Amino acid sequence: MKRVFAIFALVVTTAAGNCWAQDFRVPNSATAGEDLSIATSGNGKGTFYLVGPGASIKTEVALGEAIHLKSGDLRIAGGYLAILCSETCKSTNFYVNAAAPATIAFLVHPSRVPVGRNDAVSGVALPFDRFHNLVLAPKNVNFQLVSKNAAPFSHAARTQDGIAWFRTASGKAAGAVEAHASLDDVTAKRAVQQVASEPCNLRINGQRTNGGIIVQTDPVRDCAGNVVPDGTIITFTASEANGKDTVDAPIKQGVARVKMEAKGATVVSAASGVVMGNDLRIEAQR
Amino acid sequence: MNVAQKNWLTVALLGVVLVLPALAADTAVQVQLDIKKAGPRTIENLTERGILRDYRRAWLSLSQALEANTLDPLEGPFAGDAKQWIKDTVLSQQRSGLNQKYLEQNHRLEAVFYAPEGDVMELHDTAEYRLQISDGGKLIQDEHVTVHYIVLMTPGADRWVIRQLQAVPQF
Repeated sequence: MKRVFAIFALVVTTAAGNCWAQDFRVPNSATAGEDLSIATSGNGKGTFYLVGPGASIKTEVALGEAIHLKSGDLRIAGGYLAILCSETCKSTNFYVNAAAPATIAFLVHPSRVPVGRNDAVSGVALPFDRFHNLVLAPKNVNFQLVSKNAAPFSHAARTQDGIAWFRTASGKAAGAVEAHASLDDVTAKRAVQQVASEPCNLRINGQRTNGGIIVQTDPVRDCAGNVVPDGTIITFTASEANGKDTVDAPIKQGVARVKMEAKGATVVSAASGVVMGNDLRIEAQR
Repeated sequence: MNVAQKNWLTVALLGVVLVLPALAADTAVQVQLDIKKAGPRTIENLTERGILRDYRRAWLSLSQALEANTLDPLEGPFAGDAKQWIKDTVLSQQRSGLNQKYLEQNHRLEAVFYAPEGDVMELHDTAEYRLQISDGGKLIQDEHVTVHYIVLMTPGADRWVIRQLQAVPQF
């Protein structure tokens, strides 16, 4: 009888021992860069493992005492797996969220854009915390396009899964535009250069010289009155009885100028892209 | 069989031994991509195929790096912060003696944002795999898991690279 009781007592003790073996509690979520304390229960020694982005930690722990994870162990947002082994192993998952936004990755396109184009300028903002984790919690981002010659464009957007974006038309006036993306006290700035669009109302004038003609444009502007950038090519075509001559000339200081050989009655025209100018009739020297 | 023939046979056998496991691992990563919700830019067919190819390669590389505790597979498919944290994990595993195996991977990928100028794409990955963690060869964790990842990919010179890979409780 004593022997049966002893075996029964042993079984109960073993079962109780297993029931009260190591256990631990991890908060459901944590914040990147903050200390974390994990409560354990049980007696004796155990091995604690932490496996997650950027971390692979193995440490001996005393069961029943709290495990302290330093801020550096949980810098990277994402899923972590905590494992506590004594006679057996137990595991649990928890998530580390990004800390407060510290920087904004701000992608703005294009860096150079013609004026008056629909949906020509776009920007994407992605907030990151100081550990470079994408901040996924919804945040309000204010976008602004600021230039000297026009009222600022402003647009507010809420991040969705860490992204906010805008798209808008380019302004009417050529010049530098600053694109801002602001979130609380964090701001990112980018520069966009608005340039004149296609030439508009291309006009030319000319005069006779020895052996030919000199033709030049009036100051070349787009339809909004912006001076077309230097380097834009103007194509001059001179037609006379004996044939046709074509010369390309870049705009310099707002004007394109060319000297062409011609004899007798000559008709000169100018074009830039799909824009045609007026025809100019000149009686060149024969 | 002369010596030269024996050498060729040895090289061929070695090749088979080296290539077969790689092929087996390669086919163990399944990726499906849904682009219906992507916007504002439309994803072209060529881009879709590139994402599928490069995301699959990236997970293959990640698995190899974390299983063998080596940095070599990370050159190419990862960039920026994602590359850095995976490197940190490998180096940390080298110190702790742990390694991770990602087996039977199945990734259901959904493109949710494609920037107007095509310079960044965000995807949601519902990944299912068997995760094994070993300490000095002793298995301490073996479980089938479903993990949700927020992924940022950007186009590189000849491929799409992962810049952020962040597990979240849910989308």
